[in-house]
Amino acid sequence: MIRISRYILVLTAVLVASIALPAFYWTVFEKVPRSPQVYYSCITGDFIIADGSKRTDPSGKEFTLDEYERALPLLYFRQLMADGEMPDSINGIKLEAPSISRASSFYRYTPRKLKTPVPTLYPMLESQSGKVNLAMPDDYFRIEKRMEFIVAKTNKINGEKSALFTDALIEEGFVFPAKIIAGIPTTRKSVDEGYFVTDSGGSLFHIKMIKGEPYVIRIETEEKLDIVYIEAVDLRSREFYCYVFTQNQGIFVVMDEVYDLQRLPIDGFNPEIHTFRINADLFNKCITVLGENWYQAIAVDDMYKVVGTHYEEWSGLYERAEGKAFAAIFPFEIRMKDDSSAFIRFFFRPSPGYRWIIVNLVSLIIAIILIRRRGWAIGANIADLLIVGFTGIYGLAATQFFPNKFTVNKQPNNK
Amino acid sequence: MLKSIIYKEWIKIRLIVLISLGLSLLALINIFLKVRHDILFVDAANYWYSFLFRGSTYFGILKYLPFAIGLAVAIAQYIPETVNKRIKLTFHLPVSENGILIRMHAFGAAVLLSLFLVVMGLFTAGSAIFFPSNIINPSLVTMTPWFLGGMATYFLVALILLEPVWIFRGLYAVVAAGFVTLFYTSASIGAFGPVLPALILITLLLSFVVLFSGYRFRKGEM
Repeated sequence: MIRISRYILVLTAVLVASIALPAFYWTVFEKVPRSPQVYYSCITGDFIIADGSKRTDPSGKEFTLDEYERALPLLYFRQLMADGEMPDSINGIKLEAPSISRASSFYRYTPRKLKTPVPTLYPMLESQSGKVNLAMPDDYFRIEKRMEFIVAKTNKINGEKSALFTDALIEEGFVFPAKIIAGIPTTRKSVDEGYFVTDSGGSLFHIKMIKGEPYVIRIETEEKLDIVYIEAVDLRSREFYCYVFTQNQGIFVVMDEVYDLQRLPIDGFNPEIHTFRINADLFNKCITVLGENWYQAIAVDDMYKVVGTHYEEWSGLYERAEGKAFAAIFPFEIRMKDDSSAFIRFFFRPSPGYRWIIVNLVSLIIAIILIRRRGWAIGANIADLLIVGFTGIYGLAATQFFPNKFTVNKQPNNK
Repeated sequence: MLKSIIYKEWIKIRLIVLISLGLSLLALINIFLKVRHDILFVDAANYWYSFLFRGSTYFGILKYLPFAIGLAVAIAQYIPETVNKRIKLTFHLPVSENGILIRMHAFGAAVLLSLFLVVMGLFTAGSAIFFPSNIINPSLVTMTPWFLGGMATYFLVALILLEPVWIFRGLYAVVAAGFVTLFYTSASIGAFGPVLPALILITLLLSFVVLFSGYRFRKGEM
């Protein structure tokens, strides 16, 4: 029992060390990771990569700030207009500020959005109140065994409204409870489009409230989609309602009014680890998929036809000096927080390669020398040595913090 | 014998436990008066909104209270035992030395756990007046690590106080500080959900590590 209590302490100390020591290491040595912004120029018909203060095209040709702004007139039209350098038309299309800004949008998805605690109550705004401004309702809905509206002031369920919406959902074949509820729960948007909801069978629905009545549409898809994340957007162009991310089938947008699902031309997107960006302008959409040390840029025209692609890779964290040194010192690290998740967990990250074995062996030798010098029996310290062998300097520190001194009392002659 | 141990331990910690209970009740009263006040002023729907979409909590005042209580109870229970090594008297009783320490420790842990459960129970009951389960459940997930941290603090401070050698007290304190910090990592509402089972398991295991320094104390480690 007492011996076991020591091992609990030793393992707790290993846990603490494997969180604290790497955290300290990274605080001192971590460098800002590359995160280039990629645009598609309607002037050069090619990509432009802005990375820090450097702006280049895919061949490596550098742009000055002025050249860069002139190459992206739809992004910098305010600046170009102020300079009197804005072209009147491009590709035969007359350029006017309102149409440029209506067509421009930017969206970013990170794996963190997938792994984050989400609320289970949402406000259902009235989408056709006839008023200019949207207003917050005084109740919130949840979709569990049924769709229920809870009035905030009284904390009581509004039975009538709940029944109305529940019946409307059942009529469209909704299987309770909801899995994902995605909307824009704020009045700061141009128009209310309610919520995009997946039911427990994975089917996609559009739910909103029009003049107090439920509006429910079941969105048909050609094949069954394993939807993992939906983000509703408020595009001024009213081109589509939302982005739909699936586990293995890629990314879709749900077109406004017609509810057609348009698949974006990206393959191999993994929502668990990849970042997705889209820069849309009057002529093109520039999509960037980023991994830890690479990105793939794809430009499409307004019919979603691919007009250009570009791929770039750079050395990963563990190929750079600070990462190599880390992987040589520490056999693994544990993090409570990770960039890819907003949840707290013990994220276990083994160091790549085998260079850490040297430090583990040195730790093991030091542990053996320390045991010998104290005159303890090696046989009674096998478990300690195993811990040091596997966990390296974490284990070495942990076993010294909680001395294994039971053997002394049994073999006093050794001293 | 068990009754006498419980009585002895209760005498040591009763003042601290009652003060802790009083402070906790004051904190709870403060929380719900403030919720009532804010709901009157900003409207209930807005108040719910700031919890759901802005991540503002109404119970932040409870965060370090369990830590302080765990620390205080451990000090009240174990400092008197280390003064003049009084616990050695206990160990001379005709009962197993480990057994007696386990009972002392189990009693302290049980009192602490009951206190925490009462506070969390009252918190849940009070919240139910103003909020639905969709707000209360994530709130409980958010504050559970704080209370677990209080238990872990009690177990680890007991370990540190019974340790006879000062240098090791310091080393244990380093590990304890590193570990207890984990429970108070700042995070969004409900973010601790996935790690709670692991934290509960480790905290349960830590409940009997006091035996380690108890052993060293008995053997007169210098």
